[in-house]
Amino acid sequence: MHGRLDAPEGGGGVGRCSHMDEARRSVLARDVVCRFGDKTALDGIDLAIAPGEIRALLGPNGAGKTTLIRVLCGLMKPQEGTVFTSGRVGFVPSGDRSFYMRISALENLIFFARLHGLRLRQARIRAREVLAAVGLADVTSRPVGRCSHGMQKRLSVARALLVSPEVLLVDEATHDLDPEGARRIRALIRGLADEGAAVLWTTQRVDEVPDFADSVTLLLQGAVVFTGSPAQLAARAPSARYLIQVRSRDRGNAPSLPAVQLAAGPGTAIMATNDPGYFVLAPRDPDGLGVAVARLVGAGLDVLACRQAQSEMEEAFLVLTRAAA
Amino acid sequence: MSVIGEAPKLAAFVRRDFRILLSYRVGALGGLLGIIAQVVALSFLGKLVDPSRLPVFDGTRATYVEFVVIGVCLNMAVLLLLHELSRAIRNEQLTGTLESLLVTPTRIGTVQFGSSLFNLLYVPLRLSLFLAVIAIVFGLDLHVGGILPAAVLTLEFLPLLWGIGLIVAGAVLRFRRGAGTIGAGVAVVGIGSGVFFPLSVLPGWLARLDAYNPLAIVLNALRDALIGGAGWRALATPMLELLPLAVASVAAGILAFWLCLRHERRAGTLGLY
Repeated sequence: MHGRLDAPEGGGGVGRCSHMDEARRSVLARDVVCRFGDKTALDGIDLAIAPGEIRALLGPNGAGKTTLIRVLCGLMKPQEGTVFTSGRVGFVPSGDRSFYMRISALENLIFFARLHGLRLRQARIRAREVLAAVGLADVTSRPVGRCSHGMQKRLSVARALLVSPEVLLVDEATHDLDPEGARRIRALIRGLADEGAAVLWTTQRVDEVPDFADSVTLLLQGAVVFTGSPAQLAARAPSARYLIQVRSRDRGNAPSLPAVQLAAGPGTAIMATNDPGYFVLAPRDPDGLGVAVARLVGAGLDVLACRQAQSEMEEAFLVLTRAAA
Repeated sequence: MSVIGEAPKLAAFVRRDFRILLSYRVGALGGLLGIIAQVVALSFLGKLVDPSRLPVFDGTRATYVEFVVIGVCLNMAVLLLLHELSRAIRNEQLTGTLESLLVTPTRIGTVQFGSSLFNLLYVPLRLSLFLAVIAIVFGLDLHVGGILPAAVLTLEFLPLLWGIGLIVAGAVLRFRRGAGTIGAGVAVVGIGSGVFFPLSVLPGWLARLDAYNPLAIVLNALRDALIGGAGWRALATPMLELLPLAVASVAAGILAFWLCLRHERRAGTLGLY
């Protein structure tokens, strides 16, 4: 069922949309404004997420990410603008404590399933299904308080799965997980998106965006300062820098900075590090890395290792947020 | 979702709270031991009271235990109901579960009522146990014919309490504090209502206030019914007196709670503690 929602006077609304171009969107926010007293938390936000799309929502602390999620969940009503979500909405909150710690994972899920309208028998079956889906089938009777932090996060995802969501709103699900735990959560969410769910993924971990998200929105002080693909965001980064390890082929020792600078030639900036043999190389053009490495090798230096010194996404994030600030 | 559609969810809340109670076995046992300790304390206090100073109910002079047990039961019910009603939403805020509840298609009223329901069922059980222990130990002699009128009067009193509970719940939602205030308020009202002693021992001006005190009105009527055996006719007057108060209390409670809820939603602080 689709219906048009008009923004009420003096306040925003939450509902469904009917425009032809908007109908393909599972999540749509238009000119959303949210104020807390004098502070404007969201300042004219536009957002559209298609089915099957994972949209990463980036931004520094206080940028308005959680406020936007709350508005999309219906937990807050915007002062202006409209918000549309199509179908069932699953929500993975950022907080550590969104379950009843004294009762089991299964009982928690049964409870929430029944609040979604399932009868006890159905709720029990569905709870077991989603626990198995997130790899928690062996801890069903364990009190949530005795589950590890990573397990609780997966349980939170399981709760969102109870309703087979068409829209999934995830608020910083991986910010305090170890790399393996974070990877498992992302894999779960990717699987949901592949089944057609529209996902809004709020995160501070810029490094997880390129291989995970389909698109990125960057918020700063309640306003959108960038929307595009991860590659487009990365393209906003200044020229990349690389950490290289170099050794003299003849002598087998670490060469000096002037020797490396001379060998690399004028097209590449070389800086020393605190470790002998390790240098930071900053090419001035896209082909600069290959040219510089070839020159070093040609000058009798072995390049033992070469890796990007800092994530392009992180660089782009910093550049955009600093520029907007 | 319709109000009828919400009804099955109440069972989910009761199941959840029963499970949580089971996880606190020592605490639950402690509560029952507390009831027994209270009975023992009252029995010794009763020995200090001169029976001739106790009031006569419908021609029957009460023993102190009979007198006080009705007052304590009603006061305990008032305290627990107000406490639970006001704490329902606050507890969810403190446990961090409120936002997770509110993103389900569940009305806030269902969350509030559902979170109180287990205790609403548990309180009568505790009071029954309290009465049973006293009846066994002291051979409590209550009029069987007065039980039904007393029960109806108590049921009529519940909406009044419910309204007050909603006002307190709204205040707790808005200002995050209130448990201490409830305890103090109920204690003061209890003293002024003759829970533990006859109002005749109070200063005259204070004793006269009981005519305007719903708890005192209900308490006198309950003692008339259970100790003196007064029937429906005798309880008609307090029942009629309570009716407008109950309606006004519920209306004021719903309005106050709704206003506080709307404020918290607009401020974006509903889920915060």
